[in-house]
This record gives sequence, structure tokens and C-alpha cells, in this order.
Amino acid sequence: MQQLEEEISSDPSRLDSPARITIPVHESGRDRVMEVPQSCYRGAEEVLDLCPGSSISVAYHPLFGSHDDLILLELDEKLIPDVIHQRVTLRGQPDEDAVFCTQSRTYAIKFVGNSNSVFLIPPSDQSKFYHNRQDCDGKDYSQNVVASVIKVAPGNMELAEVAPRLDKLKLLLSENPYSYEEEVGMDCLEEKEIPRTGLYNWDDIINKIQASDDELMSGLQALSAVEINGYWRIVDEKYMNTILRMLLHNSVLNDWSLSSLNEDEVVTVLELDGFPRALTYHCLHVYGSKVDENGKSCVWKLDERRVCIHFAREILREGKRKMEDFMKEWMQKIPEGMQASFDFLEGEVLTERIGIEKWIRSFSVSSLPASPADRFSILFRERPKWEWKDLQPFIRDLKVPGLSSEGLLLKYTRRTQPTPNAEPILSAR
Amino acid sequence: MAIRVKCNCGEGSCPEWAIVELQGVVEAQPGFKDRLQNLEIGYLCRPSSQEVYTFTVGYHELTGSKVPLKKPLLVLKKIKHQDVDQSSDNNNNCRVELEVIGIIRQRILFKTRPKALISKPQQVAKGRGNALGSVPQN
Repeated sequence: MQQLEEEISSDPSRLDSPARITIPVHESGRDRVMEVPQSCYRGAEEVLDLCPGSSISVAYHPLFGSHDDLILLELDEKLIPDVIHQRVTLRGQPDEDAVFCTQSRTYAIKFVGNSNSVFLIPPSDQSKFYHNRQDCDGKDYSQNVVASVIKVAPGNMELAEVAPRLDKLKLLLSENPYSYEEEVGMDCLEEKEIPRTGLYNWDDIINKIQASDDELMSGLQALSAVEINGYWRIVDEKYMNTILRMLLHNSVLNDWSLSSLNEDEVVTVLELDGFPRALTYHCLHVYGSKVDENGKSCVWKLDERRVCIHFAREILREGKRKMEDFMKEWMQKIPEGMQASFDFLEGEVLTERIGIEKWIRSFSVSSLPASPADRFSILFRERPKWEWKDLQPFIRDLKVPGLSSEGLLLKYTRRTQPTPNAEPILSAR
Repeated sequence: MAIRVKCNCGEGSCPEWAIVELQGVVEAQPGFKDRLQNLEIGYLCRPSSQEVYTFTVGYHELTGSKVPLKKPLLVLKKIKHQDVDQSSDNNNNCRVELEVIGIIRQRILFKTRPKALISKPQQVAKGRGNALGSVPQN
């Protein structure tokens, strides 16, 4: 995190060969001994508001030094209110380059060197630098108005907006997914002192993941993570499957409509079947959406697409399948009242022809890395050539600040079109 | 880790710092290299009501101007807290905080090469008595 890239600034004010100026030996007041117990050093104000026709002595501060703890950070005017209201943090592990996070955005931090001499002059009332006033008060500078230089800044930090670094989030939460076994274990073991590893609460996550709060929250949602007992967890797929099946089973038994499920009723019935309220609630979140929220009880509608994808994944978890077998089994699993469409599986599967047979296998965009370079490298390893319509579902979620999706394609792919009427083919650059 | 950037300035009242920036390096006489504290660098002068400044360092005079920064610079101070109360915790708890202690919006920039003042040393020494008039020792 402390490692900084050294870069030469492109300061236009710099000449090709720097000047070398030697100060003649002159210590302002060093050998005078008049006692004037008054703040003798002036500061930035005098420099910035220098009256026409007047002058000010510029001297090294009594505490002049390298002051490595003083950092200059260049940032957009629009970010200043976030800083003033203390809404920004720096995030990163010791071995990572730090990022600067506002509530909703992430910025990379880069050190930009400056070969000019940048004399930094604090305002006069910066009590922080006057730990030992004696140093200052014992001497007389009151006759001279002096601006004192606390440090020569070797450069400054700059910000550049970047995509949040969320790949690690999935790894962290996959360490210890919430499973049915844990659920059962919690019931029979009174002792909660089971060694728990791989559990992360919100604070742990912001300490480990380089993303803003908002980006982290949507990252957690994208992973279908849920906060259980204070920890953010991914619920084991098998367990999710069990809960969803139980919910569907109960809707048949109780004659519930999948497009208008009463939250209280669902949660209560599933609780009787042994599923904790939090998990049923989570299941509604993952596979449905709230349609009505009047008064106390909410009404949920299960999302056809998400439920269908769930069952397709369920089937393909074991490996690739012949298309017709897959379709037959999939249709059987889809709950009554829902209509599966193969389009739902965009970005979830790959199909290929082997001889005359068509096969399908799981290949989910959610399992691919978020960094464009890694993403394209995996995609082209999977298939050297892609038609645009096949590739698109696997890259449409990529977002790089300052780069459009066309820009992404130009950067990472080569486009060929055998004939003017043919579909363009994309291959690796 | 997450480092909160603290700021006690309040709305619009961040203390403003100043930058005097010049080409190349200012070198002290060898005898003062290691004790620059309190050493005078030179005189900053604003001859007229224009934002044009001169900076006189020894026998050199620089001419420059006050320019607003394209983007402001924040002055941050890194503060390390040693957490003593959690002595049982074996991982060294060294909390770092960054505090905004100032903002820089303009600098006085000298981007020209220095002009020698040797021909008229009186001008430099004017009104400064023995101070600037002293001959560099070597």
C-alpha cells in the first residue's frame, strides 16, 4: 500500500535542464537575541495576499524537514465535499496499491513526481507544527515578515477512477458457505464456540475488499449473499435448492400463487418445516421481487427467469448434457405456471455441436473474473472465435470507467468479417 | 485495512496553504546543508498590483506569477495510533488515520530561468542591512 509508482510529471512549466540556485549563507535572525514573545512566523496567507509593492521573506521553517507524513492529494473539486464531510476512506491490504473510496466510487491512487522545487508553506495558525513553541518564540523575526517553508514536496498523489476490485469478494465468501449442515449443527449444539473460520462481517469486508460501500453492497447482492448472525454469507447451492423446492412444494399444497406470495404466510409455513425465517426471506429475495408492500405484510412474486435458471444450473451441475435430454429434464423441473425459454440461459451456458449431436454445459458469466483482461483471456481460451451475439452475454456486465463497450472490444478483440453479409467474428488480439 | 480520511475543517473553511514553486533546486551553502531550519531562502516581492512576483534568492532573481491550480490539492497528515489497550491482541495494532489539515488552490510559479543580479547588488541589499548583503562563503 505504501509502494508508490514513481512517475515523472508532465508539468509544462518545467524546463529541460533545471536551474541550480545557491542560497547565500544567511540565517534569518539566528544570531540575534531579542525577545519578542509573539508568533513570529507568518504563513500562507501573507504569501497569497501579498500587497502590491510589498515583499516577504521566505525561509525554511524551524521544523523544516522531509515530513513524510504530509501528503498532497490532488482531487476534483466535486470530491471536496465528500472529504469535508468525512465520507472517504482509503482501502487496501499492505500488499495492495491503496484505493480511494467515496460512498459510491473507487479511485486508484498514483504518485506523480515533480522535479520542480515545490515549497510548501502552511498557514500561520497551523498549531500542529508548533509543538515546541520555544523554537519559534525565543527569536525575533517580528521585524521581518517571514513565510516559512515546512517541506519541499517531491510530488503529489493523483486519483483515477477504477472499477471496484470485487473478484476477491467471491473468494472470501466461498470459503465457508452457509449449509444445511451448519443449520442443523446450530440447533443441537448449545455451545456456540465452534471455531469459525472464513466468516466475514461488513467491517472485515471493507478491510479486505477495494471497493466503495455502494459497490460492495451491489457486489454482495450480485453474489446473492445474505447477512446471517452478523456475517455475510453465500448460501450453499444445495441448501438454496432445498428451500426453493420446499417453497414451491408448499405453494402447491397451500394453493399459493407464485406471482403473489404472502411473505408472512410463506415464512411461517417454512419455519414449521424447519427453515429459519432469515433463509426463507433470502430465498424470496434471490428468486423473486416484492410487488406490494402495503401495511405490514409484503407480497412477493417469483421471477420466472431466475427460477428457470436455477433449475438449469441444478441439472448442469453434474456436467455437460445432450441438448434434448437437458431440455426434457428442465421442462419437468420448471414449476407449473412458469414458462421456460431458452433465452433465459444467455450468459449461463455454452452449447456445442459434437457430430450431429448438440450438447449443453454450464458456463456462467457470474463465475468469470471482473477484470476485462482476465475475462477476455478466459473467453478466448474457451473459444478462439466468437460471434457477437454469443459473446455479448459474457461481457455486457464489464464496466471500465472511461471506456465504452466499443472501446473494450477494440482493446481486447479483433473483428473479422469474411463477407460483407456475414456475422462479424471476434477473436483474441 | 480501511483508513478513514478525517477532516475537522468544516464547510468551506479548510486552511489554505501556499506553494512557491520554482525550476530546479535551491542549494544551501555546504556548511548549512544539514541545518536548513530557519535559513532564509529569499525574498518574495510583488512589485505591482498585477499577479506578477519576483523571487530573489541570493544574486538570482526569478520572475513568475500566481496561478490557480487546475484541481485543488489537499494536504493530508498521516497519524499513527498505537493501540495500547488491546495488549492481549498479538497482531500489532497500529491504526493509521489521515487527517485533512489544509487545501492548496493556488501557487506562485516561477518557470523562468533566473536572472543574475550581480551588476546591481544594491537592489538586493536595499533595506536589508547586513542580511542579504553578505557574500556567500565557501
